[in-house]
Amino acid sequence: MGKYTLKRLGYMLIVLVILSLIMFLIYSLVPSNRAYTDARNEMQAMKNAIPKGQQDEYFNQLYLKYQRQYGTDTDNKLILYLRWVGAYPYYDGSYNGLLQGNLGWSYDKQKPVVDVVSQPMINTIQINIYATILALGITIPLGICCAVRRGSKLDQGVQVLTIVGYSLPTFLISILFIWIFCSKLGWFPPSGMQTPGSTLTGFAAWKDEMYYRALPLITMTFCSLGGMTRYVRASMIEALSMDCIKTARAKGLRERAVIYSHAWRNALIPIVTLVVGWFLGIFSGSLVIENMFALNGMGQLMISSLRSADYDVVLLMQMFYVAISLMGNLIIDIAYGLVDPRVRVSK
Amino acid sequence: MSKKNQKAGGWLRRLWKGGGNDLADQMAKNSSNPSAMDVEEIISPTRQIVRNFMERKLAVGALVLLLLMFVVMFVGPLFMPNYYDAYTEVTQKSIPPTMSMMSVPKELQGDIKMIDGYGSFTVGLSNAGKVYVWGSTKIGTTGVDMKDIPQEVLDANVVMVAAGIDHAVAITDEGKVLCWGYAKLGQYGTQQSFADRGEEISPNVAYMPEILVNEGIDVSQIKKLTCGYQCSAILMQDGTLYLWGNKLTYANIDVFLAAGEMYDIDFTLNYIVGVNGRRNTIYTGSRGLYDMARANVNQPTVPVRDYLGDRKIETIVATSSSMCLMLDDGSVCFVGDFTSDMTPAPALPAGEQFVQVVGGAYHYSGLTNKGNVYSWGSNTQGQIKVDKKAVGSQQIFSGSFQTYSVDGQGKLQAKWGLKGYLFGTETHGADIFQRIINGGKMTMTIGAVAVIISSLIGILVGCVAGYFGGKVDILLMRVAEIFTAIPFLPFAMILSAVMGRMTLSETTRIFIIMCILGVLTWPGLARLVRGQVLVARESEYVTAAKAMGVKESTIAFKHILPNVMSVILVTLMLDFGTCMLTESSLSYLGFGVAYPRPTWGNMLNGANNATIINAYWWQWVFTALFLAVTTICINIVGDALRDVMDPKSSVEK
Repeated sequence: MGKYTLKRLGYMLIVLVILSLIMFLIYSLVPSNRAYTDARNEMQAMKNAIPKGQQDEYFNQLYLKYQRQYGTDTDNKLILYLRWVGAYPYYDGSYNGLLQGNLGWSYDKQKPVVDVVSQPMINTIQINIYATILALGITIPLGICCAVRRGSKLDQGVQVLTIVGYSLPTFLISILFIWIFCSKLGWFPPSGMQTPGSTLTGFAAWKDEMYYRALPLITMTFCSLGGMTRYVRASMIEALSMDCIKTARAKGLRERAVIYSHAWRNALIPIVTLVVGWFLGIFSGSLVIENMFALNGMGQLMISSLRSADYDVVLLMQMFYVAISLMGNLIIDIAYGLVDPRVRVSK
Repeated sequence: MSKKNQKAGGWLRRLWKGGGNDLADQMAKNSSNPSAMDVEEIISPTRQIVRNFMERKLAVGALVLLLLMFVVMFVGPLFMPNYYDAYTEVTQKSIPPTMSMMSVPKELQGDIKMIDGYGSFTVGLSNAGKVYVWGSTKIGTTGVDMKDIPQEVLDANVVMVAAGIDHAVAITDEGKVLCWGYAKLGQYGTQQSFADRGEEISPNVAYMPEILVNEGIDVSQIKKLTCGYQCSAILMQDGTLYLWGNKLTYANIDVFLAAGEMYDIDFTLNYIVGVNGRRNTIYTGSRGLYDMARANVNQPTVPVRDYLGDRKIETIVATSSSMCLMLDDGSVCFVGDFTSDMTPAPALPAGEQFVQVVGGAYHYSGLTNKGNVYSWGSNTQGQIKVDKKAVGSQQIFSGSFQTYSVDGQGKLQAKWGLKGYLFGTETHGADIFQRIINGGKMTMTIGAVAVIISSLIGILVGCVAGYFGGKVDILLMRVAEIFTAIPFLPFAMILSAVMGRMTLSETTRIFIIMCILGVLTWPGLARLVRGQVLVARESEYVTAAKAMGVKESTIAFKHILPNVMSVILVTLMLDFGTCMLTESSLSYLGFGVAYPRPTWGNMLNGANNATIINAYWWQWVFTALFLAVTTICINIVGDALRDVMDPKSSVEK
């Protein structure tokens, strides 16, 4: 198992490097020249101090200085990439990249990217964990219930509802829920993180926060219900048709024991894949929801950074999404091994 | 073998049972040994699939609906010759679904004195002095409903009415001027009334003269009452001009406020236009604005003075960007901007000339001395399709996109033009129904092209990886894994944002969006095809082909691929739904197809806060409904197909 995990980790690293290169190249397609902008700004500021004739020369010096400072004094994309990673020295011989802990600089907010990203990231992860717990709590019992009573009224109803659920895009469900729960019923606030100007602390503050997060959470959970329930149901049906179930029933085991200890363990394997994959999926799903409900999360930040062309932030967040997704694949593989002994043997 | 059907009509029987079975039946009947030619019922897999599919009512319904959607989206635009993407109309913004914009109230129909309209609603006045309002009367989010005519207007004997974009004006027989509607921007009200309400006196408002409200004016001396966007004007016979309203809507209002005397006046969308005492130019307060005239809409322009010569301007009739002048010799000419799609005014037969011309937002209607009515100008909303019943008319009136013709007794003869909007209009004033149809075409095209791209890559990679196996397989599957590791929506957003920084035409951008969607969705399909091919590779027919020495690539693509096609088709169908959804999400977030070109995603773009979602519900409900129905149908049909194609699951169910 250890060796297998190591192998997977190594592979993951390679993919991460390749993807980061692709991302970086795409990012470098954007026509932007920070060194030039900064040099010109500085030039504007001290225009009067320099005699007319020397201005061009002085500007070129300034431009070169900034280029060297930002590491853009070459057109070689590979060198630029390596400098960004931190594996190639700058003009002055220093290394200053991701490996050295320099994650970039947000030009829009004039802060290191880490400071810009950290709070939204915490918010997003928090809300996604809540949503996962909620969704799993609902879908697993529901899916099992439908599988056991296959063909019943309940099952048929749930089948139709789930198709509707997973056919609708997230933003549509958000619009619908805002309309119903905010405009028509007035149960929840339509957007925001907390009551504006609130000075609550402790439990009261948490309650206020949850009140504001309730609707995004409900929406996010609802969006994932459709696909998840169907999946749980399908794998449970598959598991229930296995021979071991017949044997268990023939032995005279109680139905509860048959379903929960025999069938469920077998149904778990595909579900593990799904749960992890889905947990990753809601990161991009929350992109839309955060935008809808004006939550200060990564999705919101990503959209605003894209709009203001703050690409250092975007690039780092993109890498975060990729890393999360790769991690997810790794977790799926390891979890497979834990849930299904056969996988361990075969690898 | 059943013998029940043997006596039924021949062709019907054969159709039902199939030729082979029927022949076997016949032979069994004629031969001595009835079981000699017994055949087993054999149904081809395709027929079995179709039969199973037909048993599912829901899926069949969904399929029919889906096909209907396709037909509507791709044939529908052909019936909308006047539609274009960038259509905007400032007087028709955010109108809720209504078909009542031309429904003159029954009580008014036999007794019309005058009708006027500028925006979404129209006011009418009966000879009895009663005021009626119809059309879309709720004004945006202001909470003002034009149908709530104030009691003083209802009680009074009104002699003249006019309508602006969000206010209306009535003059009583005592000469008092009464207004109703939205007043916050200074559409009406004297300075005193604003002060009474505790509102600040704004330099951007031309307040109503006190005389109109208090003493009243001599009704018999009123020459014209007309309303513009948020302004109104009353012109007296002696040339005295009363003008009030929101100064911000008309740049040259100060000139007219100072001028005091006019021969005629009217409002275009952005300027007040007048005719002064000399009656030989259009007076706007600034030179060069409207000083070129033309004999007809499509004729070359000539300076107004040269064109007129000794003739004088009798009346001025303005639409949004142009005006029609009636001259004292009975002819008409045109001033202002005309687009190339506008129909020119008709050449009248000898002896016939216009006695009355009225203007809507973009069209003109003219009444001749023979009682015939002609309409010309823009036809975007069917404004110039003159109703055949309009013969022998005595008077015509126009709303913003309508014309009403009235006979000598004040009875409504005919009306033509814009009835309303089935699904309402969006924030730029375009018809949502038309945009849904055209947007659907766009959305579906993007989805389809994306799926084609993704399937080309997916099938190729899957077939190659599955059939050749070994190192090729490992390499290709690793590549597929890299693509699956890319988080879809953020990545597509970045690509689209990067593209936005480059200078690309909109069509190229859309094509690249299709490619992005396609390139990011292929790994799933590739895996599926690979799995199928792996199974098929071991089957007998492949072994046979190999033994015959068929080329490897031929086996992979010509022998195996057709056998796994059905599974692929189902996946493609479901992928099509997914691609449509992704495109919608992208466009919704503003990273897909950009505004004037409609897609179902970017049409929902405006619905991003609770106020709009609630107040302008029609701007998202219908689009959302179309999007939802289409994707739900795709998923239902795809799911059902997958179920019926899988022999295992059909046994189970």
